[in-house]
Amino acid sequence: MTFTSWQFGIFVAAVFGAYYFPPFKTLQIQLLVIASLFFYGYGQPELLPLLAVAVLGTYLFLILAVRNRPIWLPIGIAFNLALLAFFKYKFLFVGPASTGLTGVTPVDLLLELPLPIGISFFVFHNISLLVDLTRQKSAPPDLTSVFLYIIFFPQLVSGPITRAEMFMPQIKPKYLVDVPFVEAAKWILSGFFFKLYVANNLNEMTSYMDFPLYETLQTQDRWLLVFLYGYQIYADFFGYSAIAIGLALLFGYRLPVNFNLPYISISFSEFWTRWHISLSSWLRTYLYIPLGGNRHGALRTYLNLMIVMGLGGLWHGAGLGYLMWGLLHGLLLVIERPLISRLQSIDSTVFRAVRISFVFVCVTLLWIFFRLPNFDHAISYLSGMFAPSTNPNPPKLFYSLALLYSLPVIIQHFVSSSLFERSSWRGAEPYLYGSMAALMYLEAGPETSFIYFQF
Amino acid sequence: MQGTPAIPWLAKCGLSALVLLIACGFATAWFGNGLQLPATTTRDGTLITLNRYVREPTPDVVLVGSSLTFRLKEEYFATPRLRNLALAGGSPVTGLEIVANQSRFPRVILVEANVLSRQADTALVEKYSRSGNAEPLLFRPIRTGVPAYENWLHAAINHAQAASALSGTLEQPPSDFDNHIYVDRAFQQMNAEDPAAAVRLNVERIEQLIRTIEPRGTRVLLFELPYSGQLEDARSVKITREIVHAKFNDPNLWLHIDFSTAELRWADGVHLDERSAMIVAQSIDKALSSLPGPK
Repeated sequence: MTFTSWQFGIFVAAVFGAYYFPPFKTLQIQLLVIASLFFYGYGQPELLPLLAVAVLGTYLFLILAVRNRPIWLPIGIAFNLALLAFFKYKFLFVGPASTGLTGVTPVDLLLELPLPIGISFFVFHNISLLVDLTRQKSAPPDLTSVFLYIIFFPQLVSGPITRAEMFMPQIKPKYLVDVPFVEAAKWILSGFFFKLYVANNLNEMTSYMDFPLYETLQTQDRWLLVFLYGYQIYADFFGYSAIAIGLALLFGYRLPVNFNLPYISISFSEFWTRWHISLSSWLRTYLYIPLGGNRHGALRTYLNLMIVMGLGGLWHGAGLGYLMWGLLHGLLLVIERPLISRLQSIDSTVFRAVRISFVFVCVTLLWIFFRLPNFDHAISYLSGMFAPSTNPNPPKLFYSLALLYSLPVIIQHFVSSSLFERSSWRGAEPYLYGSMAALMYLEAGPETSFIYFQF
Repeated sequence: MQGTPAIPWLAKCGLSALVLLIACGFATAWFGNGLQLPATTTRDGTLITLNRYVREPTPDVVLVGSSLTFRLKEEYFATPRLRNLALAGGSPVTGLEIVANQSRFPRVILVEANVLSRQADTALVEKYSRSGNAEPLLFRPIRTGVPAYENWLHAAINHAQAASALSGTLEQPPSDFDNHIYVDRAFQQMNAEDPAAAVRLNVERIEQLIRTIEPRGTRVLLFELPYSGQLEDARSVKITREIVHAKFNDPNLWLHIDFSTAELRWADGVHLDERSAMIVAQSIDKALSSLPGPK
């Protein structure tokens, strides 16, 4: 069930109604757990047992680790990483359509299962749960609360990755009167607008980046499409995260903000504090800092950065392209690190604009490895951007449409949000969101799944 | 933010959305939805062609086919009242089904017999087989504004308007673009396919549709577009040709088009380039003019 389907709208309305229905007041957590299981199992019920194994296994290791952290915490983490590695990377060795590989039915059954949607996200939740709660040395929470933290439906499939120490204290009775409806509506409307109007429409154009279609493109269109893909992936993932945050607010939970205008970053390190914030803070907390962070000298810091970014790339998928994407981001962070204080000392608007442009162009070019995970295709696309096109009959792209579909991302990044905070503009806010709602209905692009669903 | 009263805010938001939607409803009634959308993808191009077909008066000649025929632009043809319903990425059967489901038929339907390995797009057939109202209910400001601008910038032209540009292109020598990489790749792909089962089904369906259409006075003819030399030997091409010719072995069922293959080029290995498409269109014009019946 995707967020953009009418079935999902009915599902949310029904769960919301039941959640605040007075006779069910004491069953709110259980209701959300059942609703989340229904949401996850809808269309792919065969994956529910796997989700149950992941949650129950993590809960078991949590109880054991509370008693003996040094032994059971690493085993619990290894259990989750093994799950992730098995499902995510088995396709390196086994074709997705392969059948009867070993002749042992249970093993073949596991090998033939598709990649469980959201596994990268719920495995990170599990690890956060194990680390955070065993650090606090308090009694483990009940199983229902653990289930809710891991499978809460707004965040189950693509995050934001919420840390256990942030989510667990929020599990308590909720009241309709406390729901911040306006804030929730703003998040939900923004999310749907960015997904339906921006991302889905841009996807029609960026589909020309697929192999072998990109070989027919003119050189300037290759450049254009890379930038459009940069806008598309932002609109798609920001859209999902915004909808998730808004939905969670309706049920009384506050999820972490996942994006903060990433394309105005003046450095690569700043970019990673603005893009997929929940993943980068997870990697910093549970990987970079345990590896030693920046506490063991410059070389070790650089190595740690490369390890974290490389693994961050591989987290997205089993492909050389994803690894390369992560490592190149790591390299940019390493190159930038010794220069950053000198760059920060130059106080000039023009220089700031140059830095924003440089970071934006580099980040955008690296999206090619994301769009084309096949490394050869990515390199071929990239090299074609610096060579004149030879196709006498290239496809035509409408630049006016490209601009109109990208405009919301550009406006969001470059029109100061303080403008809307002024009292004269505040009155116009509901009309602006209403217009966005109408526009996304009228001009929605063809249905496509969220890009991050594949991770 | 939490201090904002929810009900007035949500009411204003909902009301403004509603007002805009109603305004777009009125705009549709006022302006109609006849503007041609620009094709950002081949799918868009398909919808433009089909929208126009169901809305405009029935033409005399209709071509149905795949992306091979899609390259034969209508302005290349001197034959008046000709529509090209070929669907890029689609099957000739889809177009034929849609034409067969209309209340009025053209005088001649030309069916491409090259790509018959794809199933008919039932959703498209269903959509365009209704009363002809396949347009969205509400006026879409961007999808209407941009085409208005693009149409103003690049107004569609007919054969007479395009004549000088066409003759200019035809006077040029054939392109010397080296397409061997694309041909090799297409050959590998076409060699790997065995389309026999799908082709048999499509051929059966085409025969059924011809039996439905022809009693109403329409002539249905098959035609084949040329492939670049190496592709003529590809497995899927041979299999398709064998099945189609076995089924439709009467020469009267075919439109015989003559052209000099040496003049033709395939920029991407499979599809005719612009100049070649013009040459083939002229050959089809010639073949059509030799058919019996009113011109």
